[in-house]
Amino acid sequence: MNNTHKVRDAFFTFSTLIILLFFNIWMQEIFDTKTLIPMIFVLGVFLVSLKTQGYFWGITASLLSVLAVNYAFTYPYYAFDLISPECVASAVVMLLVAILTGTLTTQIKRQEKIKAETEKERMRANLLRAVSHDLRTPLTTIYGSCSAIIENYDTLHKAQQLKLLGEIRQDSEWLIRMVENLLSVTRIGGKNVEISKLPTVLEELIDAVLVKFHKRCPDQQVQVDIPEDFISIPMDAMLIEQVLINILENAVDHAKGMTELKLTVTTENALALFCISDNGCGIAADRIDRIFTGYLDQEIVPADGRRSNMGIGLSVCAAIIKAHGSEIHAGNNETGGASFYFSLELES
Amino acid sequence: MNNNRYKILVIEDESNIRSFAKAILEANQYQVITSDTCQNGIMMFSSHRPDLVLLDLGLPDRDGLEFIRTIRSLQEATPILVLSARTGETDKVEALDLGANDYITKPFGTAELLARVRVALRVSQYSGNPSLSLDGKFFLHDLMIDYDRRIVSISGNEIKLTQTEYNILVLLAKHTGKVLTYAFIIREVWGPSDDGGVKKLQVNMANLRKKMGIKPGDNRYIINELGVGYRMCEE
Repeated sequence: MNNTHKVRDAFFTFSTLIILLFFNIWMQEIFDTKTLIPMIFVLGVFLVSLKTQGYFWGITASLLSVLAVNYAFTYPYYAFDLISPECVASAVVMLLVAILTGTLTTQIKRQEKIKAETEKERMRANLLRAVSHDLRTPLTTIYGSCSAIIENYDTLHKAQQLKLLGEIRQDSEWLIRMVENLLSVTRIGGKNVEISKLPTVLEELIDAVLVKFHKRCPDQQVQVDIPEDFISIPMDAMLIEQVLINILENAVDHAKGMTELKLTVTTENALALFCISDNGCGIAADRIDRIFTGYLDQEIVPADGRRSNMGIGLSVCAAIIKAHGSEIHAGNNETGGASFYFSLELES
Repeated sequence: MNNNRYKILVIEDESNIRSFAKAILEANQYQVITSDTCQNGIMMFSSHRPDLVLLDLGLPDRDGLEFIRTIRSLQEATPILVLSARTGETDKVEALDLGANDYITKPFGTAELLARVRVALRVSQYSGNPSLSLDGKFFLHDLMIDYDRRIVSISGNEIKLTQTEYNILVLLAKHTGKVLTYAFIIREVWGPSDDGGVKKLQVNMANLRKKMGIKPGDNRYIINELGVGYRMCEE
């Protein structure tokens, strides 16, 4: 990557200088004056310093410009005269332009990087804050209910105890799902970490998803429509499994009035298109743009932000699909309900 | 009566998990002994001769995989059930390939734990010659495999399988309830020198599913353990 940068910078430097050199010769013919020449070379040095990395190419360009002016445009023509005070002065000016521009652009680049870092840091802090808040609610229930049972073991009726224990189990299950999502996020890791993709058979993936989904939502039927052929897709199966389960569960939790939940996979060219659609209430217009990022964007967590698993679930989906080099989209169907879709590359 | 009960050794360093596993198992008529380190676990194993080991991989003194290696190097066939907090498939595959019989990913429910324990104990009983105990025939729901006549049928209708497909199905049936890793199946079906890889197995499995009429989500016979292998359902 560094090498391609160097090649590109060198190419930019030399092509700029050569173009300006011929431009100068041409200008000299037309206007019959030399006043423009140093100015145009200064412009060249400025451009090179602006567009290349570090100081090296800017300084190179300024020295080359001095030589070019000295050789072609000052007396004696087409010969070097490097010791004249005029030449030394112009060299100093050119060098100053190069160094100052270089300093300026380096500073701007650094600031941009800092800004991006802060943005990432802010997202992370928001995630942490939202997660901690979300964890606290079920933990309160679990802790409170357990204490209630332990402290009032003899006075509580069996039915009351069972009810409390049932709620503890329910909240623990919710916590497990939350932690699974967080684990997925850490598995994706930093931006530069490549996820490990293994060829996965589509049919086996869908089967595993449905088995897991039915364990959690035994009453919800899913209509499946996938190609008959043997289809192998390179992916991190555990993560894609999580994506599909998150979207299916999201539909169960939020698509009010849903009677149909469909999971369709089609192949087109070298892509497998996954689509999960329901016929529920659809996604509110003001949420649709931020549905995948809302969880991370929220500055202030609502006072009873209970069960906002939806937010983190979908954010995780978006991150996982992005890590696979693709994008996830959501929209409302013309016939009602919402659809989520993404594509993955087939095995070549 | 104590002597008739299965003895289970639980090796786990988290005392809460240990105590809840002990509670469930004892409530279901198993005799339970526990250990919180790998070293101690190996000692308990040789002195108590348990029928089954529940093993956590993240132990304070040594990696749980070491335990499996040690026990298997002693030619002990005692079933080992791995309790894994690790989510990566590679750890599971490694534990299975070292000789663990099955794994349960934490957090797990009581029903799941008990089911796996039952299967592991049953499999170990028949491990010598499974086909004999099944009277030359294997039954699972409406699926029937006749080992002697090499016939497979569902609801009485015979299914035509290729030699390879039949071998895979029989291999899974003979290890009912146990996860077989891709590497294990490939070695058993195609021999040790084969380099056809997982793809060939996956294609054969796809054909097998098609012939048996298995639809995604309908896991009546074979469970897909993504990235790990396949498992024949137990009941």
